[in-house]
This record gives sequence, structure tokens and C-alpha cells, in this order.
Amino acid sequence: MSAFKRKRGRQDANKKAKKVKYVAAGGEAPVEAEQEKNNEITIPPPVSSGRWTNKERVLIFSSRGINYRTRHLMQDLRTLMPHAKADTKMDRKDKLFIVNEVCEIKNCNKCLFFEAKKKQDLYMWISNSPHGPSAKFLVQNIHTLAELKMTGNCLKGSRPLLSFDPKFDTEPHFALLKELFTQTFSTPRYHPKSQPFVDHVFTFTIADNRIWFRNYQIMEEDAALVEVGPRFVLNLIKIFQGSFGGPTLFENQGFQSPNMVRKLILTKRITNTKLSKDKG
Amino acid sequence: MIIDSRTMESEDEESLLGQSEEEEDSELSDDALQEAFAKGLLKPGMNVYVERSKQFVNNVEGLKHCLADFRKDLPWVERLDMTNLPAEDVIFKAEGKVSSGKAGDVNADDDFQREMFFYRQAQATVLDALPLLNKHGIATKRPDDYFAEMSKSDQQMQKIRKKLISKQLILEKSEKAKKLREQRKFGKKVQVEVIQKRQKDKRAMMTAVKKYQKGMTDKLDFLEGDKKKGKDSSQATPASNKVAAKKGPNSKRKFKDQKFGFGGKKSGKKWNTKESHNDVSSFRAKVANAKGSKGAKKGAKGGKQNKRPGKSVRKKIKSRS
Repeated sequence: MSAFKRKRGRQDANKKAKKVKYVAAGGEAPVEAEQEKNNEITIPPPVSSGRWTNKERVLIFSSRGINYRTRHLMQDLRTLMPHAKADTKMDRKDKLFIVNEVCEIKNCNKCLFFEAKKKQDLYMWISNSPHGPSAKFLVQNIHTLAELKMTGNCLKGSRPLLSFDPKFDTEPHFALLKELFTQTFSTPRYHPKSQPFVDHVFTFTIADNRIWFRNYQIMEEDAALVEVGPRFVLNLIKIFQGSFGGPTLFENQGFQSPNMVRKLILTKRITNTKLSKDKG
Repeated sequence: MIIDSRTMESEDEESLLGQSEEEEDSELSDDALQEAFAKGLLKPGMNVYVERSKQFVNNVEGLKHCLADFRKDLPWVERLDMTNLPAEDVIFKAEGKVSSGKAGDVNADDDFQREMFFYRQAQATVLDALPLLNKHGIATKRPDDYFAEMSKSDQQMQKIRKKLISKQLILEKSEKAKKLREQRKFGKKVQVEVIQKRQKDKRAMMTAVKKYQKGMTDKLDFLEGDKKKGKDSSQATPASNKVAAKKGPNSKRKFKDQKFGFGGKKSGKKWNTKESHNDVSSFRAKVANAKGSKGAKKGAKGGKQNKRPGKSVRKKIKSRS
């Protein structure tokens, strides 16, 4: 896993013998495959020289009190995103802006922070670490990579295609979220831990005022897809101008906190029983 | 959320002041409330909570400003993002339905439709992105000899495969069992039909024979095929046969008929009818309810006077004597 430097154009003979390998200089392994294509179709040479310039690093960690599903989701995200780093659990007694400091220590400029409340509700913060915007979501309907219904598989660290719903362009807050997602979830090109192939696609769709996330593997060139997972649903709560703080830029009207939902259900049940008792 | 108690307080005061109006002003009583609720005049939550109108922040300017600051103008190759509507639904087209979810909202509750929407969105992305990727020289197809670590381990994929296979097996088994059950039912039906047909034929034959024997018919049409040869010898001429049938085994037959009846279905004289079933005149409560106590007393006398021994004991006695 050490990032060893490679000279341009050098074809390693023992490359194919190794079982696990990382192509540091983007595209040397498939060059052989492509060269055959090159004879028939002229593909222009890559414009960039193959160095990793887009330095995005995402810090994925959580607070205390998460359950197994959240833990697995975090691990899955770390697997899928080679530009992600892990950190130990943060104590909830600390204030939120300490997360910024943790990010700085780890030299990350994006952060995905999972916060669990009451061992039931999971909140996710996504933020651009030093100054940029941040957003808080309620995460629901989590299905992890390990579920047996997700039959697809993808290369570890391969770059994803990102697919967005056109609804992301309609509202300014969705546009901001789209930019945030793009920068966070897309693997930078020529990242040392990345694979040069693009073999899976993340979809972000807006339905029922929530953002649905899915991950599909590209099986065939004619767009036959199989779901790889994980999958979850994000319910936007607020968007802040600063990272984990700052003035609120947007508040979701349709959002009801899970406590409120539970309370409503309880009071409804109580009033129903009271009414039925009085009637009968 | 606050409980709207303002209006209720004023009404309370009014009712206290004007006590003579209590009977008329019955809107506060529980029964009247329930009636009003039943009629639909009151909405279920309305009289309990009142939503305070809350201001929701939507700082459009701020959002745009922030986006402008935050946005990184990277080439498409770095980001690989696409925005598109879902691809055409081939199945829908084939069925002739109009895909309603094109421009409108997808119903988040209809699981299948929702997942198909996401799937088609991903498909559209892939279809659009492939030529672009090819142009930039990024491959999507892995060569066969490229071994690398996958997100899911081989063990996990084995588990998945096993599960799929087991699901298929279960399905096949259930199909087989269903077919077997159907076959058995069908076979049983056929068997029953054959047996019934045979019984019907037998019954018809027996009645025809009886009729002939009793002299009601003199035709032997019921006999078929090889049986005709058998009966032929006994049959002399129709006229003489008639006379013989009349006088022949008359007295003996008569006596026997008289004694034993004509055969045919049991008369059912030993079976219960409605009247006999409802007739409880022969019920003796004393005898019926006298199991425990009387048995103990009479046990001393000599036991089996009124008590009938069980079946096995009776059999033994019978076989002995």
C-alpha cells in the first residue's frame, strides 16, 4: 500500500503476477488493452500527465453510541472511497467545532461525521472543512454492502460515476448539495489508492423531499446494472454557511425530528383510545 | 406547538357567569364534542394543538454566494458527474403504458417503481458517460487478466451465490410439489370416476336382471357381447318363456319374497328419523346420572348386575364360552 513512484511508460513485467496491486500512475495496466483498440480507433492521448492534483481527502468518523449498522455503513463508505480516512470515535461531550480541528490534524478537507442519538436516530454531517458550507441530514433505511440481496461487486477504490436527478438544478440549496456531494464522493483522478477503471455509478435522486443514494455496478457496456450497495436515504435538516456552525442558510420545512414523530404517534394513539373509551 | 387554551378559557368564564345558559350552551360537554367530532365539524388534531407559524430560513442569496465561493472548476474527468433523467422504460413502452414518472415525481412509497426509477437514471448516466469516458481514455471494462482487490471479498460473493442458488432450489421444489399435488388430485379424480362408472353399470345390470327375473320385461337387451351366448341357451321362445316365468318358481319365490323381501336398498327402518331423534320419552335421568354413587353401593351386591362389561371382556367371555 506504499505509494511508490513509477516512471512514465515503464511496463512492469511482474505486474500481472501480483494478486493485489494499485496502479499509481493511472492507466498503465489498461494501456495494453487499449493499445489494441488504438490501432483501430485513434484515441487522443490523455491531456494530463498522470499526477494526482485534485487533493481531496474525506474524513469519515462517528460519535459514540452508534450501532452495528452504522458502523458497517461507515466501513463500506471507507471501502468505496479510497480518498477517505478514518478516525476514532469522538466524545459527544465535545462541541461540534472540534471536528474542524480533527480534520485539520488529519489534513482532510471534507468530512463525513455520523452522529447517533438515543441509539436510534442517525444524523450525518457533511462539510467542507475549514470554511466551506456544511449540511446535516437524518439518515434512514440503511442497507450495507454485506447484505446478501446486493449481488454486485466492484473494484476496491475504482472511480465512480456520479448520477444526479435534474431536480438538483432547480433549487439553490439542492445545487449547493450537488456540488458538495460531487466534491466529496468523486474519487480524484490518479489517486494512489484508486483503480483506473470506472465500473460503478452512484445515484442521487430526490423523491418525497429526501435524497436517495444507490450504488450500481456496471456489468455490460450496454448499461446492464447490478446493485452493489450500500443504500441509504438522507433527509435534509439544515445547511450552514460555516463548517459545523455558522449562520443557517437553509432549513427544511418538511423535516420533523424523529422525537417529534414518535411523540405525535404516541399522542395520536392516546387520543384515539380516549375517544374510543368515551364513546363506548 | 401550543395548546390553544385562549378560546376555551373565555367560554369557561361565560358558562360560569351565565349558569342559566348551561343547558343551552352544551358545546363543552363531552357528548356534544363527540357528536360534533362524529359529524366532522371538528378535525381530530385541531382542538388540541395549534401550530405556531415558524419562519424557515431560506437564504437564497447566501446559498448562491456560498456556492460560488465553494465551487471548484474541475474538468469533467476529475468529477465524473452527470445529471440526467431516467432512460426510457422499454417494458412500459411494450405494454403501451405512458411512463408517468418522466417529468413528475416518482412515488416514493411504490418500492418497485421507485427502484426502477433509480435504475433507469443510472442507466441513462452510463449510456451518456461511456462515449465521454472513451474519449478521455478511461476504460470501464476490466481485462480478464487484471486481478485486483474487490470491495466485497470472495467469501462474501460465495455466500451471495449460495443464497441465490438456494432460493432457486426452494422455488423448484415448491413447483415440483405443486405439480405432484395436482397430479395426485387429477389421478384421484379419474380413479373416482372410473369406480363410479363401474358401480353405475353394475347397478343398472342388477336392476335389469331383477326386472327380468320378476317378469317385468322379457327382453334380454341388457346382456351384451359374450354374455348373450350364455343366456341364449336358456331362452327357448318368447311366448313359452313368458308362461314359464309366470308359473315357474312361483310359490317358493313368493314365500321367500314375503319372508326376506325383494332385495334392493335397505329400508332404513332401523335408522333414526326426525321424530324418533327428538323423542326423549325413554330418557331416565336417574339411570343416566347414576354412574358413580350407585355403582359403589351395588358393587358390594355383586357387581355386574346392571353394569355391562367392556368390549374386550365381552369378547373374552364369548370366546371362552
